[in-house]
Amino acid sequence: MGFPLFMIEGKDMETLAFQGLVGLSVSMYLWLLAAGLTIVFGVLGVLNFAHGSLFMLGAYFAFTYYGLWGVNFWLAIAMSLLSVGVVGYFMERFFLRHIYHMDHAFQLLLTFGFILIFDDAVKMIWGGVAKIPPMPSFFEGTVSVVGRPFPVYNLFIIGAGVAVAIVVWLLFEKTWWGKMVRASASDREMASAIGINIPRLFTGVFAFGAMLAALGGALGTPVRVVAPGIGSAMIIQAFIITVIGGLGNLKGAFVGALIVGTVSAYGILLFPVFELFLIFLIMAVVLMVKPQGLFGG
Amino acid sequence: MREKRKISRRAFLKTAVAGIGGMTLALNGGGAAAQEKSPAKPKPAKKVLGVDVIKVGGQGVISGAHADYGWQIQAGATLAIEEINAKGGILGSKLELKFMDEELKPAVAVKNARYLATDWGAHLLFGVDSSGSAMAVGPILPELDRICVFDHASTHRLTEELVYGKGIKQIFRIAAPVYQESNLAALIFKEFPNIKRWAGIHCDYEYGYSTWALFQDTLKKYRPDVEFVSIAWAPFWTMDFSSHISAVMAANPDAIHATPWAGEGVMLLRQALMMGVFDKIQAWFQCMGGSVDLLEGISNEVAAGKFKDKLWATARYIHNYPDTPENKKFVESFRKRWNRFPNYSAENAYSTIYVFKAALEKARSLKTSDLIKALEGLKIMTPAGERYFRPEDHQAIYAVPGGRVVKDPNYPLPILGDLKIFSPQAYYRNPPFEPLKMGK
Amino acid sequence: MKTRLAVLILLFLLALLPFYAGKYALYVAIHILLLSIFSLGFNLLFGYTGLLSFGQAGFYAVGAYGCGKILLAYPSLLAGIVGGVLLAGAVSLLLGILCIRHTRIYFSMLTLSFGMMIFSLAWKWRDMTGGDDGLVGIPRAPLEVPGLFKINMAAMENYYYVVLGFAVLAIYLFHRIIHSPMGLAMQGIRDSETRTACIGISVQKYRLVAFTIAGLYAGLAGALLPPLESTVTPPLAHWSHSAEPVLATLLGGIYAFSGPIVGSVLFYLLKDIIVRFTEYWLICLGIIVVILVMGFRGGVVGIFVREGSRR
Repeated sequence: MGFPLFMIEGKDMETLAFQGLVGLSVSMYLWLLAAGLTIVFGVLGVLNFAHGSLFMLGAYFAFTYYGLWGVNFWLAIAMSLLSVGVVGYFMERFFLRHIYHMDHAFQLLLTFGFILIFDDAVKMIWGGVAKIPPMPSFFEGTVSVVGRPFPVYNLFIIGAGVAVAIVVWLLFEKTWWGKMVRASASDREMASAIGINIPRLFTGVFAFGAMLAALGGALGTPVRVVAPGIGSAMIIQAFIITVIGGLGNLKGAFVGALIVGTVSAYGILLFPVFELFLIFLIMAVVLMVKPQGLFGG
Repeated sequence: MREKRKISRRAFLKTAVAGIGGMTLALNGGGAAAQEKSPAKPKPAKKVLGVDVIKVGGQGVISGAHADYGWQIQAGATLAIEEINAKGGILGSKLELKFMDEELKPAVAVKNARYLATDWGAHLLFGVDSSGSAMAVGPILPELDRICVFDHASTHRLTEELVYGKGIKQIFRIAAPVYQESNLAALIFKEFPNIKRWAGIHCDYEYGYSTWALFQDTLKKYRPDVEFVSIAWAPFWTMDFSSHISAVMAANPDAIHATPWAGEGVMLLRQALMMGVFDKIQAWFQCMGGSVDLLEGISNEVAAGKFKDKLWATARYIHNYPDTPENKKFVESFRKRWNRFPNYSAENAYSTIYVFKAALEKARSLKTSDLIKALEGLKIMTPAGERYFRPEDHQAIYAVPGGRVVKDPNYPLPILGDLKIFSPQAYYRNPPFEPLKMGK
Repeated sequence: MKTRLAVLILLFLLALLPFYAGKYALYVAIHILLLSIFSLGFNLLFGYTGLLSFGQAGFYAVGAYGCGKILLAYPSLLAGIVGGVLLAGAVSLLLGILCIRHTRIYFSMLTLSFGMMIFSLAWKWRDMTGGDDGLVGIPRAPLEVPGLFKINMAAMENYYYVVLGFAVLAIYLFHRIIHSPMGLAMQGIRDSETRTACIGISVQKYRLVAFTIAGLYAGLAGALLPPLESTVTPPLAHWSHSAEPVLATLLGGIYAFSGPIVGSVLFYLLKDIIVRFTEYWLICLGIIVVILVMGFRGGVVGIFVREGSRR
């Protein structure tokens, strides 16, 4: 294609390890976005195209509470989760609930309509210009990893992502609510027959998925641009992750996010040309060879 | 998906006729006579230019991470138009502005240009933030028979290829092109003998490719000892530059040359700070770092001295240069009107309107061919200094310095200080233009 | 009989369009015709065969780039258009073989990824496609058959008639396909795959045919673009462009023959009108989409034809 295929200039082990760590921190945002997406699909059977918009709303709310109103950082994150949870509640209760029986195509179309609505809504409320919030001071600084400075904030993100993974796993495996959700996912009619209020449960699950996405957005606020469209930019990656991991599979979403995040990072380091194409190629290959994904089936 | 309903003939007829009728009506402004609004309808000789209102159509990016630039273009143009209209307009005719969002999409920019020129009746076109949009709009200008003064789109190809190469004379550019951030940077840093290893973090589109290619080309000529050790490419919508930063830092560069601009530029610098880059390198050249939105975004970090005086930048105009009454007056009026400092896009747009004024006053006509003749070779004093529209490629030549990003007690936001000023002849490319080898 | 009359009146009105519409209106009319062709092909897959593709823009782009490259080298309008269409058809056939084995969500996501792969190729392969700048300066080449005639296309009115001609041809062919045994087979597959397979129809074969035809239509719409705009850029292949025929068809009516066409007209009208009053046209479009999906899945045409409205 007229340019060098990749650039390896004696990249030593330390460089590769460090790049992997950087990729890991990027993966965590993707994991938070994909987790909610896959849970919603697994339980409700709906592929929420607008999930990226919920991520974006999380970022905007966090920016408002933390950046504009000066609320304490942790409180701002919690408030942002609640705000998007409410948005998710309305989305499911008044719109999605009525289309579960329809063809998947209409569900995709409806959620696509929501992308359009949310993208403009944030422009109307917050303005079209990108927002750049301050960085909480306790996160500044770096730690030395393989002799290089690694930002404390990135470490925090990795920690937060892993913590969420553990909490969500516990939630679905060990709690009563989690058991109900899993029962409803595998057999809606049976679950209803034994007295589970399916509609209410579904609303709860959707709101939960929305909050996970919002968490991803909110955690990114101090270090990333907050602008309209950041959600749609990520939704494609989230789709890729859920396909690789298996639609509806949480473990798959985590692993998928790790794969996509680190492949991206190594792609930037080693294969600057092919990065974008590579990700889509992986998705296409997985879809063709094992459409249920690595962990699905 | 259940049964497809067969459509009844009546329904088909109804909807089809309604569709055609509606389309025609709506597209012609609902009820108005279905004629193309021709801009230069001769009226009983009241105005020199033959119209009461001169319509100026502009476009820029009004949304997304780069939205401030569209806002600035609109703000600068509006200020100029208000000033001119207050003084009686141009040869007795007032100016009217219509500004549209190009959405960073060439197809939208083309559609807007067509709409502004043929439907809204714009006599003059200006604006356009993105290079891709400019390259798409340029070639249709002959068909539209309008000139367009490009305000931001910085690709050298617009003037070198389309004007000089293909002879599309309707194109004029008032903003400094990529020579600014590439050749000027080379001129500055050739004087730093300790900076030998350069790395680049660049936009993964034409702007990044051409800037990096020109920078390497020019610097190598002055300093054959320099090496370009690493490059990372960041597409539109990159939110997280950590991977890019760590990739280039792995090669231990002495300095970094970077193009991501606007909100992305702010994030890049922040993330670079977070990763301790400014402890290791000797210099960082942020290409459009002199832009107001970027300076506002990093002002806390600059105030805290985090960049250790290593951050350099340029722009296509900075409000603190030149130190002329023209410039001071412009900055003051802009701040009074909009409560912000003017960005280079604002100054470019403001000057564009005054350039239109000068051309119209010289040509005393709205005809495109007359305006082209009036603009070629035009020398005009603007807030950014004296601009000269050279006839070979219709590019305006003017000097903008590069400098260190510093805190200055006279200003509420960081500015470029320690200015390195070069005559534009030193860094603008001249015809005949060698095509640029832009590898990746 | 009545339909024929209606169609003739319609054609008459369209043929006279340049005489009563302004220049910009004519430009938009051409775009509407292109979207109609694009959407018609899309609906063959969706409305008639039950497959929702989010990657049709990829084939549109292949048609556009193909035509553009041909015209830059050999300025003959027919060569460019035909070349673009054939190229798009070939690519859709190849990709179709990979896609049609899957259905529903997986099919949609697979088409999405292939479309985006074409997008990233268009963006990165600078030598071939011009990268993010795209192909620039494509001529509006004359319509010529060597030895027979050569018609200059500089005037947009002339090009409008060329596009109209292709559109009419495409619609006519579509009508024939729908009412052929093949068309009935496709609808059978949409309504019940197992039943159709039971009566001996090869489901995969008809899906592939539908996919390829949809690709050809997308390619035709794409190939007709470069002579109009003189530029071809990568966003043409992006999934957000794939959404246009989806939205237009939903708006017009998935279950009706004229749905995609009516929808294309409405889509452009809506956008054009809304944009004059507010910059927030996306939210209006989004609300319309939500309303349609919640209550009017038959689209605008479906509102006029209430018989048998199920689902």
